[in-house]
Amino acid sequence: MSPAEQAGVREQIARAQSGDAEAWGELYRLHAPAIFRFCRRAMPTREDAEDATMDIFIKVRQKLSQYDPGRPFSAWLYTVAANHCWDLLRRRKVRQDLETGEVENMPLAHPDPGQLEQLIEKHTSQEVRRALDHLPTRSRMALVLRYYAEMSYDEIADTLGVRRTFVGVVLLRARHQLRDILGGHGAANAAAGGAA
Amino acid sequence: MIHFDEMACLLYLDGQLEDLRARELLSHTRECGACRELLRSLEHESKFLAGALTEEDELVPARLLGSQARSAPSWVWSLAFAAFAAGAYWVWNDGIGPWLDQLNNAGFGGTNLMSMMLFSGAFWEGWGDLVDILQIAALLGVVILALGLVRRRLRRPAAVALVLPALLVAMALPQPAGAADVRRGRAVLVPSGETIHNDLIATGPSVRIDGTVEGDLIVFTRELTVTGHVTGDVIAFAGQALIDGAVDGNARVFSQHATLQGSIGKNVTAFASSITVTPGGNVGGGMIALAGEADLEGKIHRDLMGMIGRSDLDGFIGGQVWIRGGNLDVASTAEIDGPATFMGRQQPSVAAGAKLASPMRTEITQEVGRSRRSAARQVIHAIIGYGAALLAGILLLTVFPGFFRTTLREAGAIGMPLGVGALAFISGIFVFVLGILLLFIGVTAGLAGALLYAPILYLAQIFVGTWLGNKILGVTSTQTGAAIGRMALGLLILHVARLIPVLGGLTWLVVLLWGTGAVLMGFYRMSRLESAPLPA
Repeated sequence: MSPAEQAGVREQIARAQSGDAEAWGELYRLHAPAIFRFCRRAMPTREDAEDATMDIFIKVRQKLSQYDPGRPFSAWLYTVAANHCWDLLRRRKVRQDLETGEVENMPLAHPDPGQLEQLIEKHTSQEVRRALDHLPTRSRMALVLRYYAEMSYDEIADTLGVRRTFVGVVLLRARHQLRDILGGHGAANAAAGGAA
Repeated sequence: MIHFDEMACLLYLDGQLEDLRARELLSHTRECGACRELLRSLEHESKFLAGALTEEDELVPARLLGSQARSAPSWVWSLAFAAFAAGAYWVWNDGIGPWLDQLNNAGFGGTNLMSMMLFSGAFWEGWGDLVDILQIAALLGVVILALGLVRRRLRRPAAVALVLPALLVAMALPQPAGAADVRRGRAVLVPSGETIHNDLIATGPSVRIDGTVEGDLIVFTRELTVTGHVTGDVIAFAGQALIDGAVDGNARVFSQHATLQGSIGKNVTAFASSITVTPGGNVGGGMIALAGEADLEGKIHRDLMGMIGRSDLDGFIGGQVWIRGGNLDVASTAEIDGPATFMGRQQPSVAAGAKLASPMRTEITQEVGRSRRSAARQVIHAIIGYGAALLAGILLLTVFPGFFRTTLREAGAIGMPLGVGALAFISGIFVFVLGILLLFIGVTAGLAGALLYAPILYLAQIFVGTWLGNKILGVTSTQTGAAIGRMALGLLILHVARLIPVLGGLTWLVVLLWGTGAVLMGFYRMSRLESAPLPA
């Protein structure tokens, strides 16, 4: 985004903060698709994603006065979205404790890079997204936060409520699970992981 | 050679490895092909993942982008409207209709009831015309609201639901014409010999009317005594009310203890803990009574209709008698000139000397007195009720999935919807719609208001039932099939629980309060959903 565009967005946010409905509408139209896609990746169904998107923007509008203009707006938006989605998922109590235990005891294997490359080449993006549906909630959320919202480890730790040093373990575990599912060994893992 | 593990490589790629360790890894990968290959593969995988996740594979729903996605197949709307109409018809036919019939039987139906319910001339002489206009307006409002709900698919329903009753009440409240005489004080007294050529509104701990009021008397007091003459109606909200004088119009008494020992020219409506019509008491019209106890020793020239815990009938009733309650004693001095019906837990006691136009028709409503046939009927009724509720739930889930999920989520909070439901029940819609509309606007408008409230009460079970089903089977998905299964289970449990005496009733009270609260909160949330994200 060029400096002029950034200035435009900043002005739009300032207008929205002062109650300008039109500016808010523009902000909404600009960011709603991305937030919906984020929710679509994080939540189990399309309907959940739609509801979550609406709820997130209600929250954002209420909290708009708290937004710090020194920070990128989209990053702040993703933080609100991530917290909301994670909160919803946690309330569903999807075997969280079991997942945590599994991750803590994860063996750190040294995978065969050749097999890894083969796996990537063999599968399409759509298959990856479909495989995401079979991941345990925390793993799925961690991948979405990192690779969709491009959150830092600190932000992921804050959202998921885990120690910062634990984030790498969660991410790596999630990748292992995804590889298993894509490689055809995922059915059992998915079942054990309690896909959301 | 010691290799770096996958975790270290990932942390390095994500910039999370400490500087020293990162340098070690970099130096190692220059020499180690396996680790270099692993690093490259992981990086490739990260990019692949990011690409797969950020790919724009589906369109953003129109609901999120604007208002284009509001249309639904016309048959769904037809079905929804038909279901609503069927529900309204059922409420009217099974609930309100029989009640009105009973009122008719007691001589208070139709225009009589209408005239009884209205404060004709209390504030403004143009009431008669206004009543007709208001009733038409209220009915039109209900129709417009129903059409609006269907057409606009619940867009800002909470606002509509609030605005409409408020509008109706605003219309209903007449401008308090300066005609009424208002008196306040610790002891309001209209002494004997004084004549007020006007309506009188009196408030204070004690109100005593020994003189004459040429108009209506409206009283809010702890203790009311009327020994004088009121040419219009008496409307009294009083701890103790004694009417010992003459009232040419109607008497509407809301009181702890009400005693009538004078003459009432027209009808009496009494809501009281105990009501006494002394031997000297004379009611020119009929009487409707909701009371714990009633001693009726005087004369009621037309019909008597009451829901009374314990009734002693010693005097004269010129028309029919219909009483529902605990027990009824008809003394030998009593005379009933019309057919008499008693519905109660035990047989009424009728003294030998009592003059009855026909033998008293009695229905025993005690649980133990129920025949096997009525028990079977109850079960069939429960099954039909379950099926209807399930169908309504499926329809709701199909037609308004957003509203359904939102309301279900609100139901999950338990405490909040229960509180809101209780509040709405006690002080909100019920009092507002049934009380104010019924009294101020008229029966038709009141019933129309009740018809608005009835669907909410009916929907309450669906959300509580689905919540219960979710609790039992677990919330693993919000897909329609799974939601219907959970709804079916939850509703089944609720409807079975309903068959349990006492406990079933209590359970359903909680269900109604809880579900009503959830529905109201759902309406509120939906209105926020509709209004918040988009520009005004």
